[in-house]
Amino acid sequence: MALQGLRRTISLFRTRAALGLSPAMAPIVLYVPLGMLLGPMGAGILSPRILGHLDAVISIALATLGLFIGIAAATQGGERKRLLVASSAEAAVTMTVVAGAIFFLLGTWGIPLSLEPRIVAVALGVCAAASAAPPITAGDEQARRIAARVADLDDVLPILAGAFVVATLSSVGMPALLGVLAPIGIGLALAAAGWLLFEHSEGAERGVYVLGIIALLGGCAAYLSVSPLLAGMAAGWLWALTSGHTDAVVRRELRKVQHPLILLLLIAAGASLEVSTAGIWLFAPYVVFRVAGKLMGGWFASRMAPGVAPSDLGAYLVSPGVIGIAFALNLDQVTPGMAPLVFAVSIGAVASEIVAVIVVPPRPQPQPA
Amino acid sequence: MRRLLALPITLGIVWLVVQFGAYAELQRPTALALGFALIAAALAGGLLERIGLPRVTGYLLFGMACGPYVLNIITRPMARELQIINGLAVVLIAFIAGLEINISHLRSRLRAIVQLSGVTMLILYVGLFAGFWLLWPWLGFTGMTLLERFAVVALLTAVVASFSPTVTIALITESRAKGPLSELTLAVVILADLVLIVFFTLIMQMVRYAFGGAGEVGLLVGLTWEVFGSFAFGAAAGALFALYLLYVGREVPLVLLAFCAVIAGVKAPLHIEPLLAALAAGLVVENVVTSRGDSLKEAAERGALPVLVIFFAAAGASLQLDALAAIGWLAVTVSALRLALIWFGARRGASVSNIEAPTGQLVWMGLVSQAGVTLGLAMLVAAEYPTWGVTVQTLVVALIALHQLIGPVLFRAALARAGELGQLDREAGPELLETLPERGVI
Repeated sequence: MALQGLRRTISLFRTRAALGLSPAMAPIVLYVPLGMLLGPMGAGILSPRILGHLDAVISIALATLGLFIGIAAATQGGERKRLLVASSAEAAVTMTVVAGAIFFLLGTWGIPLSLEPRIVAVALGVCAAASAAPPITAGDEQARRIAARVADLDDVLPILAGAFVVATLSSVGMPALLGVLAPIGIGLALAAAGWLLFEHSEGAERGVYVLGIIALLGGCAAYLSVSPLLAGMAAGWLWALTSGHTDAVVRRELRKVQHPLILLLLIAAGASLEVSTAGIWLFAPYVVFRVAGKLMGGWFASRMAPGVAPSDLGAYLVSPGVIGIAFALNLDQVTPGMAPLVFAVSIGAVASEIVAVIVVPPRPQPQPA
Repeated sequence: MRRLLALPITLGIVWLVVQFGAYAELQRPTALALGFALIAAALAGGLLERIGLPRVTGYLLFGMACGPYVLNIITRPMARELQIINGLAVVLIAFIAGLEINISHLRSRLRAIVQLSGVTMLILYVGLFAGFWLLWPWLGFTGMTLLERFAVVALLTAVVASFSPTVTIALITESRAKGPLSELTLAVVILADLVLIVFFTLIMQMVRYAFGGAGEVGLLVGLTWEVFGSFAFGAAAGALFALYLLYVGREVPLVLLAFCAVIAGVKAPLHIEPLLAALAAGLVVENVVTSRGDSLKEAAERGALPVLVIFFAAAGASLQLDALAAIGWLAVTVSALRLALIWFGARRGASVSNIEAPTGQLVWMGLVSQAGVTLGLAMLVAAEYPTWGVTVQTLVVALIALHQLIGPVLFRAALARAGELGQLDREAGPELLETLPERGVI
């Protein structure tokens, strides 16, 4: 088993896959290190000034991610409610395991941090809870399909919790509850404006409106230092529930910009990395406790939804995707002193993707006819 | 018209956010300004198109109305943030223009283009020089010798005679126009831009001599580098991009964005003119890898609309209306003179170069706009000669405000009369456009 995993890991770094030209490898593994190489720590092509300009792109990318999660959460098929509860339970267990363990370690080790240990612990818990859907093909087994749906739904709770953390740290000075309600209000109001625009326009003009609404979702949230992810999620959720074909239009239009936005987000994350003692100290516990939390959370979720969620659900959810990094970047936007967290989460995400190659159950070999 | 209901919602949210966000220690207005400009300017452009005016005028008017001088919804910091996009926008717009220029297609018309440009510019330069000489008492320059007056008038002539390749290309792209008038206007404007850079540099040498400074020997070297170096750099970058399209061809939008950012970014360290470099890059891609160039052109043109909206909204928000108010009558007089000279010059040029009607009769309408290049030159003058250069800058800024509003309206009317509006869409057909995402182009 271990040997097989090692072989698969090595094969990832071969030729096309290593260049990111094959879907076999998650983009995080290529683009975060690429960002490091291009950033101030590397060649310096992405200078702090350019990274400052990319701040707007990050806000827009965060809103886009939130939007996809909102649409996915509202449009999941059968067993949606049970799966949402099970996914949220899985995310809650992961958050608790990571936050609790990190808080304990911070108290024991006395790592020098400019932020309160409990805030760092909760923030890392939120970053750890998100997971990416394993790629699905037509002939995949039921367990893998369910895991993909759980991976979509288990981002909802972390986004809400993350919005609360962002609101607590925000410099605007509004109460934390208002800081959570504000992005929801922004998301719903802009979703209404978007619905009016998208349903009554077409062609390139509609593309401009979609981009404009996404930029406003990210921009309004960034201006108020609240969560763009939550603003996007609220808008996506409303679009999926309203009549018409707005959610389909948005998905189609965003398909053109989604990939570049995500890659820019990952490159910006890599370029923003600052190596520090605290970041290095946080990295390994973050990866270990995240994997442990996912396995425990998956087991717990399978008990909550027996017959729906597979017993080895957690193994499928080890791949972190970009949401964790997005959380970390969002926290870094609203408050200073988050560099160790961004480092631990970004490098931790790269490491987790490699761990996922070993942990995720392999596809069954097709039986010979 | 239902979508207009989205405008008050958007306005209301942005207003509320700006009010609450005023208390934030760290304001990050870029994405907010981008989103608001995209939605509101696009709606304004759509409204103006309904009454037969160009969309870009709607974007400009929106920028003016919401900008710092009128409603102040787009505040000064937001307008500044929008300007950051301009560097990228100019490169993308010029790159698209390069993709439109097929050398083998233009070769047969080169003589006519040079003749038309030459006659138009000669009449414009001579006429403006005479006009400024006569208007001297009202221009606000005092205590100058005859030589200094001659130099300043020549400098004013060079700056005010300039055209705007950016606006011309943007309007052609946005209105999906194609045909002899679009091609001819584009060629004349680009040629005039090249001549302008040479002329301006030489006249600045004369001004330095007239005002007692030493001419810079290195200036000619700098000029050569700025023109030929920009072309060489752009051609090399275009060749690399073409190779990437041929042999990799993945993540094209992201690579195109990085490509534009690199060309825009090397302006300061390498003294490269981004417009010329991007134009050369587009030329290489179009004429070297035609097969991929066509699909890239479609993708770039489709993706250019949001960039154009932002570009013109930012230009509108940055129009210095106070300058226009301060010397309005003088600006209107100079503008009228310039317009008359362009009309006369282009018609004479078309007649000399045997360009047939209606192209020959309409080409002058595409030469009125002025924008970034003109402003950049005026800022150079003001920076080097703060005493009288500021007067030049004020006059030029006021003229740009006028020509930004008049120019696009005239050019769109000309394209409409020539039957070239939307010609690209008619040629492409719905099938090609629908298959772009599937082919991985966008």
